[in-house]
Amino acid sequence: MDYEISLLTTMSISVLFALSLNLITGFCGQISLGHATFLGIGAYVTALLGKAGLPFLATLPLSMLLAGAIGAVVGLASLRVRADFLAVTTMGVGFLFVGIIRQQDWLGGELGISGIGGSGLSKTGFMLLALLSTAAVAALCLYIRASWMGRVFNGVAEDEDTMRVLGIDVPRYKLAAFAIGTALAGLAGALYAHHLQFIGPDSFGFVESVTVLSMVVVGGIGSVPGVVIAAALLSALPAWFQFIGDYKLLVYGGLLFLMMRFSPGGMAGLMSRFFNPVQTSAKGER
Amino acid sequence: MLALELVAQGLVQGSIYALIALGLTLVYGLLRILHVAHAALFTLGAYVGVMVYNATGNLPLAFALAMVVAGLAGVATFRLAYQPILSQPPFVALIASIGLYIAAEETFRVVFGASGLSFATPPLQGQVALFGGIQFKTAELMVMLGTALIIAALGWLQTRTRVGVACQATVSDPQMAESFGISLRKVRDINFFVGSALAGFAGVWVALLNNLVEPTMGSVPSYKALAIIVLGGLGSVRGTLAAALVLGVVEAFGTIYLGKLLDRNAIAFAFLILVLMLRPQGLFATR
Amino acid sequence: MNMTDQAVAPLLRIADVTVRFGGLTAIDRVSFDVHPGELLGLIGPNGAGKTTMMRSITGVVRTTAGGVELDGVRLDGMPIERRIRCGLSLSQQLVKPFRGMSLLANVALAAGSAKTSSPLKSLLHLSRREELAVAREMLERVGIAQHAEQNPAIQPLGILKRLEMARALALRPRVLLLDEPLAGLNSKEANALSSTIQDINRQGVTIVLIEHNLGEVMRICSRLVVLDNGRKIAEGAPRVVMNDPAVRAAYLGGDTLASAAADQSDTTTACAALGGQHA
Repeated sequence: MDYEISLLTTMSISVLFALSLNLITGFCGQISLGHATFLGIGAYVTALLGKAGLPFLATLPLSMLLAGAIGAVVGLASLRVRADFLAVTTMGVGFLFVGIIRQQDWLGGELGISGIGGSGLSKTGFMLLALLSTAAVAALCLYIRASWMGRVFNGVAEDEDTMRVLGIDVPRYKLAAFAIGTALAGLAGALYAHHLQFIGPDSFGFVESVTVLSMVVVGGIGSVPGVVIAAALLSALPAWFQFIGDYKLLVYGGLLFLMMRFSPGGMAGLMSRFFNPVQTSAKGER
Repeated sequence: MLALELVAQGLVQGSIYALIALGLTLVYGLLRILHVAHAALFTLGAYVGVMVYNATGNLPLAFALAMVVAGLAGVATFRLAYQPILSQPPFVALIASIGLYIAAEETFRVVFGASGLSFATPPLQGQVALFGGIQFKTAELMVMLGTALIIAALGWLQTRTRVGVACQATVSDPQMAESFGISLRKVRDINFFVGSALAGFAGVWVALLNNLVEPTMGSVPSYKALAIIVLGGLGSVRGTLAAALVLGVVEAFGTIYLGKLLDRNAIAFAFLILVLMLRPQGLFATR
Repeated sequence: MNMTDQAVAPLLRIADVTVRFGGLTAIDRVSFDVHPGELLGLIGPNGAGKTTMMRSITGVVRTTAGGVELDGVRLDGMPIERRIRCGLSLSQQLVKPFRGMSLLANVALAAGSAKTSSPLKSLLHLSRREELAVAREMLERVGIAQHAEQNPAIQPLGILKRLEMARALALRPRVLLLDEPLAGLNSKEANALSSTIQDINRQGVTIVLIEHNLGEVMRICSRLVVLDNGRKIAEGAPRVVMNDPAVRAAYLGGDTLASAAADQSDTTTACAALGGQHA
């Protein structure tokens, strides 16, 4: 039973993390190749404050706050540079974060921080907390999607110049997307740290950023149910198929490539093509 | 003295970066794709080079085969992976390329083993003292020389031959070029071949410098080459060369003076972010 | 400058606007006023600076000197989205609808500007019932209500031009800028669309129309401003302006003749307009 509880917790945190990136990349169209940075910021904040004696639940909002604040600063980059430049810049932020962590002894350096714990919850209780948080975030995403903010994000993702002609303050919306998305990543990070009870620089590197992006892409950029399903499956895959464990990255890489090559809309795109072939073909003709 | 040594080190590293980034820039100029998987060809070249040298003891042959194999693999990558998704939004190709790179890196690990290969008897390892006492490995001098030669040759090819001119025309205006009877497909193939061959060439040099090839050897250069072509203003060949050398030198100094604060990769990307925030169009963009 | 105009305060005032790109002066001290309720045509031969003028009004191009005022509010230095919020609205020459949504949703997005003025505000509003009603009304005004539920990706250019106009109208602008709305349409479509523009103006919307199609401009505009080589060379009632020797020279003389001849339909309408044969 312990194993299932742990697996479910892991899956839930992955889904939460993927949803947070989906907000930035899927909803608002701003590509990020450094999203694991914010998972890391959340994790380090909760770990360090926890060691300093702060109760677990009090560290959660602080994790979100710092991750969101730094996320908004990184979001400023999206105002200066677009598309390919932004992808490389956010990737750079990821390398910068890991590089800083590695060299700082008070952040645990190369060795990381171990013995994180004391959430005060039982394993089942922690799992429920993770599941509840994830459900709340999924609900928030669906709400945003249905709100005017979602409509604006959608427009910014497709054509930000036209949105400006419609009088939309595009920079503020982009910053909002970065702030919300990275704050939620911070929450995921805090849960991650308390779940694994160990964090180190390698937990938040480029591979993790790509992994979470692959979850979003495989699910179908922007689709909340798609991303939930993809993140849950991809995070559970290595555990279910032990033999995959060693080839996890090969499977991720291959999936990412094949998805983009044959179905750029992800699983959500596949489904809509399957159920609604006429509309997609009309779209393709443009 | 130390400064001079650091500049020299930086130029050696910068030459390697330049060789890798050049292919990336060629691809970007032509297709607007951030071709992350390019670094897999660099790794492939290194493996081929080491294996051929260990089997034959012939270094020029090792280089030649590494370049040809990497070049052909590059063309195959273009035809099978990128050509069908050119009409999609740019992030599609970028993510596909990242996926491809990860899969390739893992394939190297599965096929050749995680521990890597090295030369049985590594060539060009002698020490030479230059400029009043700075020690260079023969291989280090050769890589700078080789880079300079190959770039000069490319420059000559680009401006003096039909094929080169056709490539340039295609970069600046694909439709116009096509209406003049230039085959887009051929130009793209050639670009991928040349760019990938350069990556293979760089791979063998890195194998010589470190006397080691391993599956992950491409990852850092791959991301750094992205940083370099962005620094160079995306798609500009001269900008890329300059950015590669500048970055090599910045890193060399950075690791000495900022090493306590940041590691080597972080220094490179801190420099990148700084430059982009000040000049969003890159360091050497002409447009 | 014009004595009779001083009675009514201008809605949009262009004062001594100069735009230089490097050493090239694209707009050279151009001034004109747009009065409430009028349909002003901004015309000139190719390369006269019409597009640059438009862009300096919307803020896409920075003015080197001079200023733009909307109802007494200085717009200089504002980015385009703030100018739009101040009451300008732009119907772009290159129509760019959002492809993932219906025509109606496209217009509703613009109609929601009150709810999208800040991210927080936008997060607190879900319903778009009112906006859909406004959008439907706008689509009716431009005459494409029957296509409301369709996807813009499958529409012909004529409908997309009207969609673009409906979207601009949905912002409830005080001044509507139309950037070559007739470009790319055949003469029948152009005629129908300019009649629609005239109707919209009669319903009380102040319009600045930038247009190549002189025949239609002459037909619907109440006043014209003519640019040539970045300068204003004439201003006034259409017939008077068209009989101005400077305007005739700009359109028919020198190197502009070649470019006019390149577009057969343009030349014929221009000649028709200049000859005073229009309806």
